[in-house]
Amino acid sequence: MDRTITYKEASEDISGIITKTGWKYYAVLTLMAVSAVSFLFLPWAYQIYSGQGVTGLNAPVFWGLYLVNFIYWVGIAHAGTLISAMLYITQTPWRRAIARGAETMTFFALFLVSLFIFVHMGRPWNFYWTMPYPNQRQIWTNFTSPITFDVFAIGTYTTSSIVFLFFGMIPDLASLSHTATGWRKRLYTALSFGWRGTDRQWHLQAKACMFFGAFIMPLVVSVHSVVSWDFALSVVPGYAKTVFAPYFVTGALLSGFAGVLLMLSIMREAYPVMKKYVTAYHYDKVTIFVVVLSLIWSYLTLMEVVTGLYANTSQEIEHLKYKLAISPFSYLFALMIFSNSVLPLLYIFKKLRNSFFGRFIIPVFVLIGMWLERFLIVPNSLSRKFLPWMWHDYSPTWVEYSIPIGALFFFISMFMVFIKVFPIIAIFEVKEDIGIPMRKSH
Amino acid sequence: MDNSLLGIFQYVDDLLAAAEKCKKSGYGITIISPVPLVHEIEHTFGESKNPVKYFTGLGAITGYLFGTLFAITTSILYVLPRSGRPIIAIPPILLISYETTILLGVLFTLMGFIVLALAPSFKAKEYDVGLAIDSFGLLVDGVRENKFGDIEKVMREYGANEVKRIEKK
Repeated sequence: MDRTITYKEASEDISGIITKTGWKYYAVLTLMAVSAVSFLFLPWAYQIYSGQGVTGLNAPVFWGLYLVNFIYWVGIAHAGTLISAMLYITQTPWRRAIARGAETMTFFALFLVSLFIFVHMGRPWNFYWTMPYPNQRQIWTNFTSPITFDVFAIGTYTTSSIVFLFFGMIPDLASLSHTATGWRKRLYTALSFGWRGTDRQWHLQAKACMFFGAFIMPLVVSVHSVVSWDFALSVVPGYAKTVFAPYFVTGALLSGFAGVLLMLSIMREAYPVMKKYVTAYHYDKVTIFVVVLSLIWSYLTLMEVVTGLYANTSQEIEHLKYKLAISPFSYLFALMIFSNSVLPLLYIFKKLRNSFFGRFIIPVFVLIGMWLERFLIVPNSLSRKFLPWMWHDYSPTWVEYSIPIGALFFFISMFMVFIKVFPIIAIFEVKEDIGIPMRKSH
Repeated sequence: MDNSLLGIFQYVDDLLAAAEKCKKSGYGITIISPVPLVHEIEHTFGESKNPVKYFTGLGAITGYLFGTLFAITTSILYVLPRSGRPIIAIPPILLISYETTILLGVLFTLMGFIVLALAPSFKAKEYDVGLAIDSFGLLVDGVRENKFGDIEKVMREYGANEVKRIEKK
């Protein structure tokens, strides 16, 4: 980062992202919000009114696109927490400019995770049935069920991520409360909880952050492991794989880092001032993570296939044939490999990392590839369960295609509203990056 | 009457030198900054205590006990036979308690931070807007009226741009 930037300039630049809003921004936001209503909320209302029959979910494929998207968004949520927690614990300086954006992405991704559970439920008003508590409705809490693990794991992850995001924002909100006016001033003052920036507050903030990091780090691994056990603890061919926990965690991080890259690139285009803070140096670092994760993911994908072949049971072989040799899934599998294993390797060329291709095209392909990975696991495995009379091809309906697309628009709308209220770059951390002003240089 | 003086500095090394001098003279000092100076302050004054860890530890232990007892008591009170598996199955209970350990650990840490760091200054008066943006402040407490001049002189000597008198309520 440019060390000639002053503290005041950094404060003004970042608060400018919040306050300076042109008509184009409102136009895009309106378009996104209208699209979210049209593609997400109206079809969902139609589904609630008509029942789950409007979807393509039918025996034996009861887990379809909604759960594909549920897992997908859990994955997207992963990188934010990893960047914040792991890189905070290791005191990695390049995290500072990008951590807040990544944490925000995590926050809204987890919002969509909850949304897809509600959509999948069919009768969302009965959501409290998923809560693990002793009840009198003849539905006992099964503590050996991975679905119960999910409620605990995702509940903990969501709560911790929200705490981590808003906790980290307290000093910035206090700083913004001095220059803001009207409702913003009242909001920032209330949310900064009396922060004054005293040495004691900073000291305790650093220690608390370290504890949060230490707690959240294992959570990153446990949450997606638990999600993978929804599948791995069953006996369904294609699901019952011991490699699933690391496979899901790696895939989640890969998609999460691609999401962070794309989000930063879009933000930099929308707000050129961000180019001062998110530089080629950051792209260098994040893309290295993408390459490493892509290599690990490729190895685990190979293991997933090879262990199925090695098992050599007729149901596993049929499942693999369905996935690898039958159109359109064979093409989707090839596209997945191309997107997740081949394209990210191009980041080894330094020139490409900060190019348009590296900033936009590769992350988009990785995000598509990771979505395909979940699609090829979730409904596809159920289509080839054991005996041939149970086989059934799953065809999602327009409602199932529309709701995930609408959810993406909803995600973008929420993100756009957020960056107009809260700082998307951590002001005090950027100032740390600039350096502490000393009369005598050390 | 005891009151406080606030010196506003541009450079952190100046501020720390002034702070060290005031502390040696027996005054209570508070450093106010727009960025964390944790390492710099520890380098000058030594490591401070971290009482947040007690909240964190208490939260983690409470979380672990809650998760374990919740899963065990529910399994006993509402028996759900699962094809020959034990009613109290240890591995899933460990998983549940692992998550609740983290959950309450995080929430108690947050609570500890609010109680220890934020609550004491919740209604404190704002000293100077610049301290939240690009200046560094040294607040010296417990200064007698007749010593104001001496402390102000020390601060000016060490490079304070401005020295303000802060009236305590």
